[in-house]
Amino acid sequence: MDEQRKTTPLHPWHVGRSASMACFGGYHMPLWYPAGAKAEHLAVLTAAGLFDTSHMALLSLHGPGARTLLQRCCCRDLERCLGKARGPLVPGRSVYTMFLDERGFVIDDAIVSQCADADYTVVVNASMGAAVAAHLAAHNREGARIVDWTDRLGKMDLQGPRAPRILARVLKEAERVFAGLVTFSFKGSFAPEALPAATPAQLSDGTPVLVSRTGYTGEVGFELFVDRAHTASLWEQLLAAGADDGLLPCGLAARDSLRAGAGLPLSHQDIGPWLFARNPWLFVLPRDEAGGFTKEFVGAAALVADGDHHHTLAFAGFDPRKVAAGEQSRVMDPDGRELGRVLTCATDMAIDRVDGRIVSVTTPIESGRPTGFTPRGLCCGFVRVSEPLPAGAIVHLAEGRRTLKVEIRDEIRPDRTARQSLTRFLP
Amino acid sequence: MKELDELHLPDDIRYTDEHEWARITGDIARIGVSDYAQDQLGDIVFVELPAVGDTIARGEVFGTLESVKAVSELYLPLSGEVVAVNTALTDAPELINQDPYAAWIIEVRPTDAGEYDQLLTAAAYLDLLRG
Repeated sequence: MDEQRKTTPLHPWHVGRSASMACFGGYHMPLWYPAGAKAEHLAVLTAAGLFDTSHMALLSLHGPGARTLLQRCCCRDLERCLGKARGPLVPGRSVYTMFLDERGFVIDDAIVSQCADADYTVVVNASMGAAVAAHLAAHNREGARIVDWTDRLGKMDLQGPRAPRILARVLKEAERVFAGLVTFSFKGSFAPEALPAATPAQLSDGTPVLVSRTGYTGEVGFELFVDRAHTASLWEQLLAAGADDGLLPCGLAARDSLRAGAGLPLSHQDIGPWLFARNPWLFVLPRDEAGGFTKEFVGAAALVADGDHHHTLAFAGFDPRKVAAGEQSRVMDPDGRELGRVLTCATDMAIDRVDGRIVSVTTPIESGRPTGFTPRGLCCGFVRVSEPLPAGAIVHLAEGRRTLKVEIRDEIRPDRTARQSLTRFLP
Repeated sequence: MKELDELHLPDDIRYTDEHEWARITGDIARIGVSDYAQDQLGDIVFVELPAVGDTIARGEVFGTLESVKAVSELYLPLSGEVVAVNTALTDAPELINQDPYAAWIIEVRPTDAGEYDQLLTAAAYLDLLRG
């Protein structure tokens, strides 16, 4: 085995179940299990899927200066981020944000959560814990304590409409844990002594667990954090609890196709070492009503200087065919003029076009899903182009002999469930 | 992913080092992809087929398989004229995953019968996979 290749506590389980494996972010991870990526993708939309995400990194910040440090280093304004009223971040709540460098380039995207008055967690991508910790340390004038939990942590994502009822079967006092658990909120802690929880949560066997109402699929579900020693136990408990509900273990292929259809960026592919501007994720910026910023933060000056006029736009195609993203493919207008490059191109296998409109397996019949709808899937993702293009504009993606016609979109997969009330999904 | 000893490699057909197979019946050859190919690719979601009547040389691209993982070009094992394409794959590309030997992709009328004998036997193909 390559010595550089890290593994999660579930690695023996993946290999033992004949998963197709590949390296991602320095970890040897499952791409799909024998059910296949299409069945896994569809399970998350119609039943539930369970993803090993222990390769992701988690930092904690402690001390009276922790909030000020986060305010300086991430772009979301933690004093104005919750709900329509733009209330401050409070214990038990989380926000999606970006860490930028002084050039306004993305170091990584993250979910910042407040555990208690002076305790926060920051979840970042695989292999990014050290880089984000170093960035925070470099700006740490407040003396906040920064801890990297990555190698002590087990994490898995339970996602899909049956996720709430499956999770309820392994939680102690599930009704209490689910009460008020709106999207981007959490309960519990994976290490209650070190990281106090605003509201405790435990598995039925007493294991401390952090239940977060977040995910990377666009669908209703949870990210679950436990001490690394309990990872395999929780994984097995959930699979057993969901066996009669169509729960499937899911690999990185389904994770990528689900997030692409949900319009979510992959760090270092759709966002990365270029100016964070003119893209679908600008809601993380602390804009005031006059178009300025509500706070000072690292990278703000570069965003104001605005020295890069490229646009990152979502697209969807007309059939499942893809091109490879990256240097080998190009974006062209219908006249063959080169406009830019392809950042992500995946196939969302749960959608298809019906009379020109994109329909998902989750689209209600009364909203236009035909009976017996069996989608072939549509390619989708993000392009980075040199000029603004409105939704509905047609561009061509070219790679080698292949040219695909795709449509610029504001949204790709319709009728996603991530933000719906949990009670809708409980029996 | 299947172990090599789990692969189904029928003895009565021939293989290429690009993981296609060919089966001759009378003066027609059916062409498909091997169990190894479908297992490596994962779920096949789209098949691009040539037109009936196309004449394609051995080793040339005759179509593509679109899987969740990648786009893979298909290389013709035997020179000839395309006499049929398996249109069932248009609506159900997953048939290739379910049984890659029943789910043939095209039929050709070979122009050089000698080419078949140059293809790999099941044993030689398995040796190739073992590296």
